[in-house]
Amino acid sequence: MKALLISLLFIGLVASFLWPSADRGTVESEAVFRMNLTAEPPTLDWALATDNVSIRVIENLMEGLTAYDAALRPQPAIAARWTVSGDGRIYTFHLRPDVYWSDGKQVTAHDFEYAWKRLLNPATASEYAYFLYDVENAAAYNTGRIKDADLVGVKALHDLTLRVDLKKQAVYFPSVTTFTATFPQRKDLIERYGDRWTEPAHLVTLGAFRLEEWRHEYRLTLVANEHYYGDRPALDRVIFYVVSEETTALTLYETGYLDRVTLPPIAIPRYKTHPDYVRAPFLRGYYYGFNLDKAPFDKVKVRQAFSMAIDREEIPKILKGGEIPATSWIPQGMFAHNPEIGLAFNPEKARRFLAEAGYKNGAGLPPITLAFNTDPTNRMIAEHIQAQWKKNLGVTVLLDNMEWKVYLQQLREDTPQVFRLGWGADYPDPDNFMNLFTSTSGNNNTHWGNAEYDRFISDAASEGDPSKRLALYDAAQRILTETDVPIMPLFFAAQNLLISPEIEGLEVNAMDLIHLKKVKRKPSNKVQS
Amino acid sequence: MLLFILRRLLWAVPVLWAVATLTFVMMHLVPGGPFDREKKLPPEIKANIEAKYHLDKPFAVQYGLYLKGLLKGDLGPSYKYLGRTVNDVIADTLPVSIQLGALALFIALVLGLLAGMASGAFAQTAWDKTSMFFATAGISIPNFVLGAFLILVFSHQFKLFPPALWEDARSVVLPAFALGLAPAAYIARLTRSSILEEKHRDYVRTARAKGLPETTILFRHVLKNAITPVITVLGPLAATLVTGSFVIEFIFSVPGMGKFFITAVTNRDYPLIMGVTLVYALLVVLANLLVDLFYTVIDPRIQLE
Repeated sequence: MKALLISLLFIGLVASFLWPSADRGTVESEAVFRMNLTAEPPTLDWALATDNVSIRVIENLMEGLTAYDAALRPQPAIAARWTVSGDGRIYTFHLRPDVYWSDGKQVTAHDFEYAWKRLLNPATASEYAYFLYDVENAAAYNTGRIKDADLVGVKALHDLTLRVDLKKQAVYFPSVTTFTATFPQRKDLIERYGDRWTEPAHLVTLGAFRLEEWRHEYRLTLVANEHYYGDRPALDRVIFYVVSEETTALTLYETGYLDRVTLPPIAIPRYKTHPDYVRAPFLRGYYYGFNLDKAPFDKVKVRQAFSMAIDREEIPKILKGGEIPATSWIPQGMFAHNPEIGLAFNPEKARRFLAEAGYKNGAGLPPITLAFNTDPTNRMIAEHIQAQWKKNLGVTVLLDNMEWKVYLQQLREDTPQVFRLGWGADYPDPDNFMNLFTSTSGNNNTHWGNAEYDRFISDAASEGDPSKRLALYDAAQRILTETDVPIMPLFFAAQNLLISPEIEGLEVNAMDLIHLKKVKRKPSNKVQS
Repeated sequence: MLLFILRRLLWAVPVLWAVATLTFVMMHLVPGGPFDREKKLPPEIKANIEAKYHLDKPFAVQYGLYLKGLLKGDLGPSYKYLGRTVNDVIADTLPVSIQLGALALFIALVLGLLAGMASGAFAQTAWDKTSMFFATAGISIPNFVLGAFLILVFSHQFKLFPPALWEDARSVVLPAFALGLAPAAYIARLTRSSILEEKHRDYVRTARAKGLPETTILFRHVLKNAITPVITVLGPLAATLVTGSFVIEFIFSVPGMGKFFITAVTNRDYPLIMGVTLVYALLVVLANLLVDLFYTVIDPRIQLE
């Protein structure tokens, strides 16, 4: 009995030992902004970061040659201006002379040259190295076909001039340089600290904020960077809490611990009339793809029939998140978005097409399986589509769901007849969405290829005249969603947020980028912590 | 005694080796790899990454490299958290889990033993029925429901504790109860049935015949014997609690290690899967060793050989 009591005491002691420290990282007089990240950032090394959580933090610590304005157009940032050669292949970026790293050192074109070569170095094993594949010899160096980094088309002509040679014209290149993977890096620090250079004690950045604290799996604290070349941010401190569970984040918002939160779908109806509620479009498309190598989807009439048999207007009623039904592929909020394109809901025509393909009322069809990765939203949509195909075409489709990574392997090795996927914009240009379905794209799982489509996309990428470019994308979208139909777009996602009324200047854009340098907290209000 | 401990620790080596090998084989058998993405990587880039982590080498070589690292205490790099090793990830999160788990264990033992003893001593009374009602409820209610309930009542309604986060001592209370109440219920039921069993043994009748008061019989004799099954389950229970709980860590945003038992697998972060599995296995081995030592303290009939 005594022993039991002693051990109880011992466990109690361990439990009371090492309480979380009472340090809350905030001082009351400071202007603080607090929001959640949905996961621990996998890395703050912008050459390696590919996920939106890491990028969300990095974007507030760093800037690149160019940066987006509110309408997602690239504007000068570290590059004060740039010139383009007549053939569109040589970009010369002229850097601002007044940009400094947070340790006081000047930012030079050499930092860019080093960063880009590091990004492309196969030893870095960067997933986003291909962002610079438009640069001369970048792909060859990254894939080991050439070993000499100096052959890559990026060179610091002197401290403030960076010359970039592209392998062909790419009108969207100033959009590419807004992207985190292209931001400058410090050779001296990376060589000195190795993998640890992103820890708060070592990390040197140049944006409006700098990293003060990173308690892994829990909290990142950013403070205003005194060396920032632009205006000092209005916020003194930004706290990112790692809160993965959406409902927990919502509870923290309601109890005053967070200033901005994404609403879980289930809570959207309840908050629709809330004064803090904000809804905005989101550059993310959701589609079903057909595997053209598998019957019956080798027949275009079948694909068209399946696409026309879906009433997409029902989807927002099911998901309730303000989704935008879509028959075309370039999302709302992006250049060349055209809702007129695509196959509209038409059950009679769908039945006729199916009959013309030789499957009257679905007779003679092989068993059809619709595959998706396990997720409640995916299931709701799949069940809806399954019911629509049954009702409008008389076709019975089986559902098959798999865990995410298993699903991805399945797509790669033995693509199901019908499969679900989504795509979020890396940069707000239609090239990013339309390139996906070219015959050379690694992300095109449909086994569909169309030389005319490929040519339209390639021409549009280097077309400087907006009206011609628009015509090219319209034509390509018609091939994709009307005549060939390797995919059926279903909807574009929306963002559903709550933003505290104490916060001013938080722009909500279609890429869900969060730039905090212009954000203000109204004074006099106390932060609960 | 020392010899016994030493031998048991030596035995831990083949046990851990077996766990490591089985886990290593099984996780590589699961379809899908760590670098499969919605946005598929160009094959050349995937090749660069796989070369970096030796994933391009034959399976046996990968296994050999892993064991070699393990012997040096190096659990390898995380594939998901770039620039951090699995040792780093565990060092950051295990202390949090231990702290939360220890408090949960404390709650489980105190509540469980008290309720179980009372129920066992006063079987079939209203007191027994009430406490067994709560014990059954405690086992049946999943911890995510319990967690949400605790947040609703103690955070939303009465504003006594923060709903989540890991800021100060108050943050620990709700997750510790959400984690500890189910084991408390389990311990209560176990204690009760164990006491009831002991109460009908011959030595109790003898004690009664000698005229000993019921309280003395209960505390001096019955409890000593009835406690053994509780001690037995305590080992694995302690190991489970201190390595963290996925659900509780998610609901309360606790920066513990438990979530990796799930997320490392969904991410196919092979070294992290191995790391958390081995830490768990090691803790189970150690906890069971402690339990065996404890037996000799409470029951002199048990000898260590």
